[in-house]
Amino acid sequence: MNRMYGNKLHILIFLLPALLLFCGILIAPIGASFYYSLFEWNGMSADKTFVGLANYKEVFTSIDIGFMKALRNSLLLALLSVFLQLPLALLLALTLGKKVKGERVFLSVYFMPVLISTVVIGQLWLKIYNPEYGILNVFLRAIGLEKWTRIWLGTKETALGAVFVPTLWQYVGYHMLLLYAGVKSVPGELREAAMLDGATDGQVNRFIVLPYIKPIIRISVIFAVTGSLKSFDMIYVLTNGGPLRSTQVPSTLMIEMLFLRNRYGMGSTIAVLLIVLCFLFALIISALFKQED
Amino acid sequence: MNNNSKAARIAIYAGLILWLLINLFPVYWMFTFSLKNNAEIFGQNVVGLPQHWLWSNYTSALKTGKMGIYFLNSVIVAFSTILITLVAAVMATYALSRLIWKRRKAMNKFFMLGLTIPIHASIVPVYVTLSRMHMLNTYWALIIPYAAFSLSMAILVCTGFMNEIPFDLDEAACIDGCSVWGIFLRIIVPLMRPAVATVGIYTFLQCWNELMFANIFISKTALKTLPVGVQALSGQYTTEWGPIGAALVLATFPTLLVYVFLSKRIQESFIAGAIKG
Amino acid sequence: MKKITAIALALVIALGMFAGCSGNKKESEEKTITLWCIATESDANHKAYEQAIDEYQKAHPGVKIEWEAFENQSYKTKIKAAMSDPDTLPDIFFTWAGAFLGDFAAAEAAYCLDDAYKAHKDALPEKMLANSTYNGKHYGVPLTYNFVGMFANMDLLAQAGWDHVPETYEDLTACCDALLAKGIIPFGCAGKETWCVTEYLEPIILKTIGYQDLNEVFAGRATWNNEGIASSVATLQDMIDKGYFDPNGTALSNDEVKANFLAGKTAFYQNGTWNCGEVNDADFNAQLCLFPVMDSAKATYGQLIGGPSDTLAVSSHSKQKELAAEVAFELGKSICHYAYLIGSGLPAWTPDYDVSAVKPMVIAAGDMAVKSDGMVLFGDTAMSADPANTYLSYVDKVYGKEIDGAGFIAGLAKDLQ
Repeated sequence: MNRMYGNKLHILIFLLPALLLFCGILIAPIGASFYYSLFEWNGMSADKTFVGLANYKEVFTSIDIGFMKALRNSLLLALLSVFLQLPLALLLALTLGKKVKGERVFLSVYFMPVLISTVVIGQLWLKIYNPEYGILNVFLRAIGLEKWTRIWLGTKETALGAVFVPTLWQYVGYHMLLLYAGVKSVPGELREAAMLDGATDGQVNRFIVLPYIKPIIRISVIFAVTGSLKSFDMIYVLTNGGPLRSTQVPSTLMIEMLFLRNRYGMGSTIAVLLIVLCFLFALIISALFKQED
Repeated sequence: MNNNSKAARIAIYAGLILWLLINLFPVYWMFTFSLKNNAEIFGQNVVGLPQHWLWSNYTSALKTGKMGIYFLNSVIVAFSTILITLVAAVMATYALSRLIWKRRKAMNKFFMLGLTIPIHASIVPVYVTLSRMHMLNTYWALIIPYAAFSLSMAILVCTGFMNEIPFDLDEAACIDGCSVWGIFLRIIVPLMRPAVATVGIYTFLQCWNELMFANIFISKTALKTLPVGVQALSGQYTTEWGPIGAALVLATFPTLLVYVFLSKRIQESFIAGAIKG
Repeated sequence: MKKITAIALALVIALGMFAGCSGNKKESEEKTITLWCIATESDANHKAYEQAIDEYQKAHPGVKIEWEAFENQSYKTKIKAAMSDPDTLPDIFFTWAGAFLGDFAAAEAAYCLDDAYKAHKDALPEKMLANSTYNGKHYGVPLTYNFVGMFANMDLLAQAGWDHVPETYEDLTACCDALLAKGIIPFGCAGKETWCVTEYLEPIILKTIGYQDLNEVFAGRATWNNEGIASSVATLQDMIDKGYFDPNGTALSNDEVKANFLAGKTAFYQNGTWNCGEVNDADFNAQLCLFPVMDSAKATYGQLIGGPSDTLAVSSHSKQKELAAEVAFELGKSICHYAYLIGSGLPAWTPDYDVSAVKPMVIAAGDMAVKSDGMVLFGDTAMSADPANTYLSYVDKVYGKEIDGAGFIAGLAKDLQ
């Protein structure tokens, strides 16, 4: 058995399709991106100039490129995601987890937006936010809050928030379902024992359920943070980084550098940083959760 | 039951129902405005059911917007991706969790790197790779990258499921004279059936949503997918909302319909994926 | 046996993914020319392309033209991505003249059209090629030329007591104030697309510092540090402060803003003359005019922002360059013809057909162009990609009032020179 399972040829053959896909499409291009990030190149002409790490230096220092602002925006999205979206999802999961009537209906509807394409949601919210005819402003006018109406996506103060709301709306259901599954997997005896000891609902949640579902919370946090760093489609559809770059995130900035400004080296630099950052944050979050244990 | 807890229950239900409405209303609004003309959408009848059911919006979305073709393309791409992801992932998982070799832990970690890599970060090198392989402007231009980017999650999920298959089965089969391939195809693969649904759903979500690759790797109208089609159509009808609404509905309702019938299955496999992962 | 089958199966799966997908290279008598452009169905030029291509294919049964149209923003992304492997460029592609095509020419990705041009010298005046000529070589087939005009809804102006378009800046502000008093918004400008803001800012700069100076600035030969440019920015921001611009514009696309003008919601719309056909057909009384002179010592009314920009280029990686070049010229001529009749551009090619059906506003625009005292190409077309986008981001800041005139000239002088 062990000899059969240790056969190198078999191992290779079983790994081959996955390795080909993974290395060919994910790993090799990252290598290529890193290579190009060391050059000043317009992506077109034959001559590229080797500049070493100059692009990395420029990306962190240049205000004109605005990478730090883009990074700040996506970290803000991550924060909002962790401290607004996840608590909401947790609240829903905890509530649904203790036998509410119509549990299945609620669950199904809350999860529904996850199944709608981001582009569709983006287009839909574009209409919701339309300054003249969008239902948001129409609704505010109808209930007499005329002065609350805004040009939601066209004002730099509101744009980032306006971009975040549909993202939150779409993925609350995703996190809720993960957490709900966790809540449901808490053994009944644990719960009952605590109840017998006179614990309130809040105490049961705090001392029994939450510690039990911690691994799932960790996964949710990682997904929420890396998802925010990666965010692209929703922003591309709603604002494409505007107005005045107030909703610029690293991926939209990268596309601008690559395809609009012909700064191929700089675009690749941002790509590499994006990958490193996602990876780093995943590690940090895992470490934080471990430390707590 | 005292008043206090009764009030609490009411508050809980009120909250749940409020969130329910917040989830349903945009979809309801989308459906109604897909059947209205601008006059109704822009003032006369903003939130009500359409006064005149304007099915011609759907004709525009299907004919001018070619939503039918795009939908079909999305389905073809999604299901091919799921198939390839599954084959590659189950095979790799077998090697990573059953076969015995030194560096399999490290290899597993290596594959898990893919969980955090953003799909957009490698767009140009992937473009060049696909072009060298003459895959641009074919379904493969999307299937291959989507499968590659779904692989890590799929391996993660499959590992969870495969670890639950008792090792005794392998040993028994081995004693019966099965080869590695025999064990894999006859014992492991049939028992991995529950993983199919879970991996399928994760992969489906990934390819159903993707916009940037689809936009750049595909130039032929006949091969474009839904996100690109929706985006293009809304560029064409910026000022006429009805046909855009119709396109949005066409891009959404078939999946929602499947979801209505299979919601429990879909959620279960989703949950299984999360727990196993 | 089973083992072999299984291994074979695995290999087939693995290889099939990569090999089973090469394109079908069917050899046939018919030659296929691929063309990418931005004439989507909502684009004013869509019909012109459609008719021109139809006609060409009927006249040349051996040639099939496969064309795809993409939305402007995603087209720029696509065509640049295609450059990362130039073999994936189509045979013929739409491009903007000036720096955009210049990058392709410099990278030797665009095919030199000097030879093909010889046969069309009589129909296409050489001066129309000026913006697509680099180092003395021609790389583009111009379709139409356009300039920035101010479209006025005379019915709305009449409501405010104006029976003619404002000819001086004092007139313009008086007219706008009168419109506002009647509850009519004077201007619409799409803040979501920065090029639309330049359609407002550049004519003001032009009418302040004159076309010679502006040309030097755009070409990088003169500094942005120019008081006239600062005061132009102040003029635009002053107009915004006075409420002359629809505030909703910041969240709208150009199509939406144009639709507002065509629906009679704003009195003026300043944009390219490719809109002449549509504005001409609007159900109100419309007139084309120009932004008034700000400094008569340097500028005259007839100076224009514009020039031939819409261009077809041929890929130097095309397997059938000569044919593609010929097709590009034939199509260019024909697209120009239909675009002129539709009113989506002024003819870069000398008309050799019945022009009696050309719309009055298009004729008026043509007159202005012929009588023009000097033209300056659109700033973002004249500048190469990186500086052009830096420039656009500064224009964005002007519209969003993040910087004033002094900040604009200081910033651009620092970042672009």
